Formats: sequence, C-alpha cells, structure tokens
Amino acid sequence: MRSIVVAALLPLASMLQAQTPPPSSAPFRDKQIPHEAGFRVFVVPDMEGMASTVDSREIIAGNEGERFKDHTSPDYWDRFRLLVTQEVNATIRGARLAGARSFVVNEGHGGNLFANVLPWELDSSAILIRGFPKPLIMVTGIDSSFGTLMFTGAHANAGSPGVMAHNFAFDSFTVNGKVLNEVGINALIAGELGVSVSLVSGDDVLIAETQKMLPNGFVAIVTKRAVGRSAAITYSPAKVRRMLQSGAAEAVRRERRGDFKPLTLDRPYRVEFKLRMSYPDSMVQQVAALSEFKLEKTGGRSFRYQTDSARQMGWLLDAIEEVVIR
Amino acid sequence: MSRLLLVAAVLLPLPAWAQARASRDTMPRDTTPPAAYFGVIEYQLARQKLELDMQRGGFSVYIIADMEGLAGAVRNATEMRPVIRGGTPQHERFRQELTEEVNAVISGARAAGATQFIVNEGHGGTLFRNVLVEQLDPEAILIRGYPKPIVMSTGLNPMVDALMIVGAHANAGSPGIISHNFAFDSFTVNGKVLNEPGIAAFIGGEMGVPMALASGDDVLTAETEEMLGPLETVTVKTAFSRSAAAVLPPATVHRMLRQAAGRAVRRVMAGELRPLTMEKPYRVRFCLRRSFTEDDWVRETIGRLQGVSANGGRGCFAYTSESAEAVGNLLNEVEWTVLKP
Repeated sequence: MRSIVVAALLPLASMLQAQTPPPSSAPFRDKQIPHEAGFRVFVVPDMEGMASTVDSREIIAGNEGERFKDHTSPDYWDRFRLLVTQEVNATIRGARLAGARSFVVNEGHGGNLFANVLPWELDSSAILIRGFPKPLIMVTGIDSSFGTLMFTGAHANAGSPGVMAHNFAFDSFTVNGKVLNEVGINALIAGELGVSVSLVSGDDVLIAETQKMLPNGFVAIVTKRAVGRSAAITYSPAKVRRMLQSGAAEAVRRERRGDFKPLTLDRPYRVEFKLRMSYPDSMVQQVAALSEFKLEKTGGRSFRYQTDSARQMGWLLDAIEEVVIR
Repeated sequence: MSRLLLVAAVLLPLPAWAQARASRDTMPRDTTPPAAYFGVIEYQLARQKLELDMQRGGFSVYIIADMEGLAGAVRNATEMRPVIRGGTPQHERFRQELTEEVNAVISGARAAGATQFIVNEGHGGTLFRNVLVEQLDPEAILIRGYPKPIVMSTGLNPMVDALMIVGAHANAGSPGIISHNFAFDSFTVNGKVLNEPGIAAFIGGEMGVPMALASGDDVLTAETEEMLGPLETVTVKTAFSRSAAAVLPPATVHRMLRQAAGRAVRRVMAGELRPLTMEKPYRVRFCLRRSFTEDDWVRETIGRLQGVSANGGRGCFAYTSESAEAVGNLLNEVEWTVLKP
C-alpha cells in the first residue's frame, strides 16, 4: 500500500526538483570573520600537493561514504593531518618573520568534509575555517582587508599529469575561454576583492600550469615532481617546511613591495564547465536544476553560465559541491 | 551456545552501521513509562545527595558541559559521537578539548574566589559520558551517565551561586553550528523562547541561581544574551553553515574562558547578574522535533504524560505548572522517550 502511494508521488517529486532551493550555506553568505589589525594573510591548505602524499588513501578520512568505501584508510590520513598542519604552521612562521600579523587558515581539502587541519596543533594565533558546506568553499571568509593569499599543497588541474590532479567537480572549467585550475578560480574571486596570490606550493605540474594562469607571478614552491597520477619524486616534509617558511617570508616582503597583482578578467565572466565523467547522471540533473544560477546546458554534462560577480560564481561552486560531495 | 554462534554468523559480515540498523529494527522498543524511572521525587533526592557533598559558605559554581560549541567543533556525525554510537575516533580529541575548556572555566572562577565546582555532563551523543575524568580538575564533582534526573540540571540546588554552560549550541531552527534544543523544534515558557541554556536558567532561576556564563558560536551567544542578559559570553567561532565555522585557536578560547569565568564570578558576587524569574503558573508550549513527530509511538507517549495536552499542530503540546522543577522533570520524561530505540 505504502509503495503505491510512493509511486504516485514520484512524478510530483521530479516536478518539484525543477525549483531547487538555494544551497544550505546561502544564509551565511554575508557573514564576516572577526577583524584583526596588521598585515593579514589568508592561507588555503590542500593535501594533494603537500610533501609526500601520492595516493588518495592518504588524504581521505575513511568516513566519506559509498564512493570511497574501498580506498580509504583512517591511519594514513591521520598521519598526514599532522603534516598538513605543520606545513601551514611553517607558512605562518615565515609570513610572521616578514611582518604579517593576522592569519586566517581556510581548509581547502574536501576530505573529511573540509576538516583536516588539527586545531590544537595549529599556530595559536590563527583563525581556522573548517567544515562543510561553506559559502565560498576555498576562499570562504576572505575580504578586502587581507593583504595576500597563499595556497599550500595545491594540485594540478583535471586532466593534467599531476599527482591526484583534479579541479573541484569538473573535468574542465574556463572563464572567458581562459582555463582555470582551483588556484586560478580562487585567485579570480580574491582578485575581485583586490587580494593577490603571493605563494603557491605543489607538484611541478601544478606550479608550471599556474604560472601560465597568473601572469602577475607568485613565489613558487615545488614540493615534489610527479611521475604519474599516484607517484612522485618528493622532498621530505621537513625540507618542504623550511622551503615554505622562507618562501612565505619572501612572499610577504614582495607583496608589500607591490610585486604581485590581483587576477582580473573582463566582465561579464563567461563561465563554461563540464562536470566530471565519473559522476552519475542523477548528479548532473541536480546541477542542471540549480535554479538560483540560471545555468545553460550546452551538452551532456557541459554548462554555460554568465555573471558579473566572481563571488556569485563562488556560491555556484558551493552549490555544486553540495550536490557532489556525500 | 549454538544459537549464539548463529547470531554471530549473521551479524559479523555486516558493517557496523548495518548492525546498528538491524538491532534497531529487530529489538523490541522499551515501553516502560518514563515516570517509572524518574519523577519529581527522584529529582529532589538527587538534589539532596549533591547537597550532602556541598560545603557551607564559599562560592559554588555549577558547570554544564556540552560539546557542539567547543573550540574547533563543526560536525555532528564525526566529531560529536563515539565509534560505539556511529561516530568516529575524531570524537576522542573533542572529549579532551571539552575537559580543557571546563578546566579553564574552573581555574578562572577559582582565581576570582569560587571554592566549589560541580560539573554536569550535558552532551547526549555519548549518553552523557564525555569529560575525561583523569584530566578534570581534581576539586570538581562530576555528574555523568544516563539516565539521570533532569538531564542537564541534575542536582542543581539553591546552594549553587552561579550557573555556567560551556560548549553550548544555538536553538533549534537558528543558523548555528549543529543547532538544536533537546527533543524540540520549539520550546516556550509564558511565550518566551528558551534554548538549552535558557531552560537551565529557568530551572536555576526558580532556586535563585543566575546563568552567569555561556560559551559557543556567535549565534548561540547572541541569542542567549538576548534571552537571559546580562551575562558573560565567550564566542568561540563564527558559523558559516550548520556544519562549517571560522574557529578561534583553542589556546585563545581557553584564555577567554578563564577571563570570562573570573568576571562572571565577580559580577555574581557584586549582585550584577540576576536569576531568570518568570511569572507563575508557567505556561509551557512545545513542539517535538519533526523526526520525533513522525514516530507515532513517541508522539502518543508524550501526549499521555501527566498534565500534557495537545496544543496546536501535530506533535505540539501544552503543559502548565507552578514549579520549574516539574517542568524540568517533564523534559526528562521527553528525553527518556525519544532516546530509546
């Protein structure tokens, strides 16, 4: 009896899907983090490009649901949680030596739903943004009071031969025809606020592609050389921490001298993206149904989107992440 | 013995979550009426038992220890529950954080002249066993385990001078980290909305005990100040969704808690912080959490509790009483009903 009722309701459910509510982080979009005086640094740590990681078992917590069921190991991940925290600490230490006074760390790694850095081991002057969903994902909480933006442990773009290369939920993502990886997308959102990228660390593939993407330059730190999607010639974590510390100091000094410029592109932003082939059709349909963003479907999993605001594009990223994660 | 082996053979290949599901579906529901466990008498006995331990003179602080509002905590599924109740090992680190935050409050209160400390476990995710006993301040009396009379205010009595809550979370329906309110979607007394710290302040208020300190996210501290102010608050994080936040460093939070607890004690001593008083009779209105409303047995059992009558929509009830203790006990009966399989 109950199944008949359910069957009768199904067409109704698919009709309702056409008008999806905004993502659950929408009410929090205008929230600001506490203000602090002095030169402010916004650090976005990811795990794929940090020292030594080569395999998804090392960066996924083991509670990520069906999709990751057969390739997770809490033990490996636990160890790299401490290492990612230490990489952030080294970055903060370097920036502080060069005169930075306020530090915000925003979890950039989706494993364990953006809760990887250990709050208790993190430099005790840093505000940490953790958890999911969050309105602007990798740059949630950024505003024009920040002096500079740094990415540690970043990974190469989807389709490129870097270690664990990918790009949010996409197989490709372009704005005005310009290819952007995760660093590039976030650099554009921050660029609109006048904040520039001063430091990027990751494998050699990531660094090379990002240097083409951000013509205004940044301090580049190669943590490892990719020799496959799951293999690398890597420096030791301790050496990478030293490199991050001196690199962050150099980055802050050069930023304050005006060496770097925010990434800007012409408005309106013509965004084109293709969702990952590995996602089931149901996810593609849910993304197509995100009514708030007026997406134009241009192919099986390809979409076009136009906006005058990179910040709004960031909200779209969160809406898509809310569909594909978990 | 052979039956045992058969059961083991059926259960072993299943993952942990499936086992929990299986036992939930097959185990008969415990339908003992809640009043058979705790009534007002038991609550008064618990009060008397605690009073036996309390010193005359001196300044006593009663601390409710919750977890959602701890420094760093953002996610219920992994951080608020132990492995044995479907959580992850990450929960263990937050037990330590809870203990450190409670200790920070105790040391701040002590520095301001408080001499006695009672800690009551307020977090249900582990059935009220979270504080690490070997790390808790040795002078503190700890109330732990479940069930216990009036869950979050067990033993609260008029000899207590100040009530404090650490790691608290925002009210059900408000945009805070893991926001909720016992088993309710809404809870009001004489039309005044109360969250969990508010309900504790209401029960303490009748005994003349003021709520002096609340810590948690920005949503919790703002709503609690509006509800109970003036009182000391410590905002440990800014919510960016119900499961994401900008969190202050734990060491900073401990320092803020120490300072705020000291200020709270001094302000109570100076008579600046007043107990919450409400007019009698207390007209309580509450609506059960939607998921509990869907459960016919839960809804009907609560509808049959003494003095409770249907009010408004499905799952919504009214209750009138001359005693905040009795309201607290009703709360206990509701918890007892919903926490069962």
